[in-house]
Amino acid sequence: MSRNHLLILLSSALLGVGLVAPTLTIRPQAGEFSWLVEILAPEELVPSTYSIVGVIRELYHIGDVFLAGVLGLFSIVFPVFKLCLYWLGIDRSGSLVSSGSLYEWTTRASKFSMAEVFVLALVILSVKALPGGSSATMEWGAYVFVGSALGAMLVPTLAKKNEP
Amino acid sequence: MTHISDFDAPKKPWLRLMVPILIVLGFAVLFVIMDQNGKAPGREDQGPTGKSPMGAKLQEGQTYYLFASEIELYPTNLKNDAWDGGKNGPDIRYRILWQGNQVFESEEKEDSLIADWSGLSLDLEWTDLMGKSISPDEAIKAARIRYEKGGLVEVEVEDDDVADDDEAGRAEIQLKDLRLGRNEIPFEKTSVNAVRRINLRVLPHGSAIRDLVDLMK
Repeated sequence: MSRNHLLILLSSALLGVGLVAPTLTIRPQAGEFSWLVEILAPEELVPSTYSIVGVIRELYHIGDVFLAGVLGLFSIVFPVFKLCLYWLGIDRSGSLVSSGSLYEWTTRASKFSMAEVFVLALVILSVKALPGGSSATMEWGAYVFVGSALGAMLVPTLAKKNEP
Repeated sequence: MTHISDFDAPKKPWLRLMVPILIVLGFAVLFVIMDQNGKAPGREDQGPTGKSPMGAKLQEGQTYYLFASEIELYPTNLKNDAWDGGKNGPDIRYRILWQGNQVFESEEKEDSLIADWSGLSLDLEWTDLMGKSISPDEAIKAARIRYEKGGLVEVEVEDDDVADDDEAGRAEIQLKDLRLGRNEIPFEKTSVNAVRRINLRVLPHGSAIRDLVDLMK
């Protein structure tokens, strides 16, 4: 098993954890009435921590199927698909297969190496603009997810270095 | 001549394809199981962050908010007659007296043997929503008292009638017996008392909103 295969396995493990680990904590506030809401309806101000899968599920439950689909596509389906392609497209020596449709797909996928991180960043950026002083903070799961994307990004680069 | 593509290569590619998927799924499931067992790090306590001083003794020289969150009356008045002539329940109102002065009077709660007060009240105009700042002091409807050694408060409870108010009971409460938060004080039915119990809430004046909120829950 080549170093690239190990890197793919590591990225897969990080992706698995990154998808279900706490990624985003939203602390709702109601501006200057926050203290009053805390007394009358404290459940409204309880901080909520979401994983990426949790965000997708929440979006789906509130009826935002489109956004849930986009986030699911770019944060789950695409990264898994990419890792699968790399796994298949790298031979025992750790190099990319030299030709064929697999080579083309792998090259194409590597061009969108950070798309999932970009989508995640957009989600965090959008909730950071919540009204009433509400805040959103990144949790450690986001870093694990980014680590997975970085690992996956390194695979084609290292594979090309191994090419004869 | 036969061209063998990468996908057609005799390596069972679809089986190999499952390896990253299984790793992703495996680690995700493993994490969820560990997380549910409380073993995974990074889980955030989502409860209130403030430390509640609930149950603490009152500090000498410190000012406190004091209000009755609940008052229960016996089913009959001081004369063992039905309240309000048997038509309705009593309309309960209470006063707090400190150092011989009335320092708080509650709103009236109609037709109830168990009356409750939240200790909060906001008289908001629509214009207030356009940026008026409201402090806890303005919103908390309670007596303000200071704890001194040997200090006491009196709570007068009455049935508020149109014709004549009927006294329901009068309790002298030593401040040293009170604790921060909820204090339930039971009373026996006597010829001068028809109050079954009073729940008094004590909140520290000038403390953080978070602490006040915890104490009012």
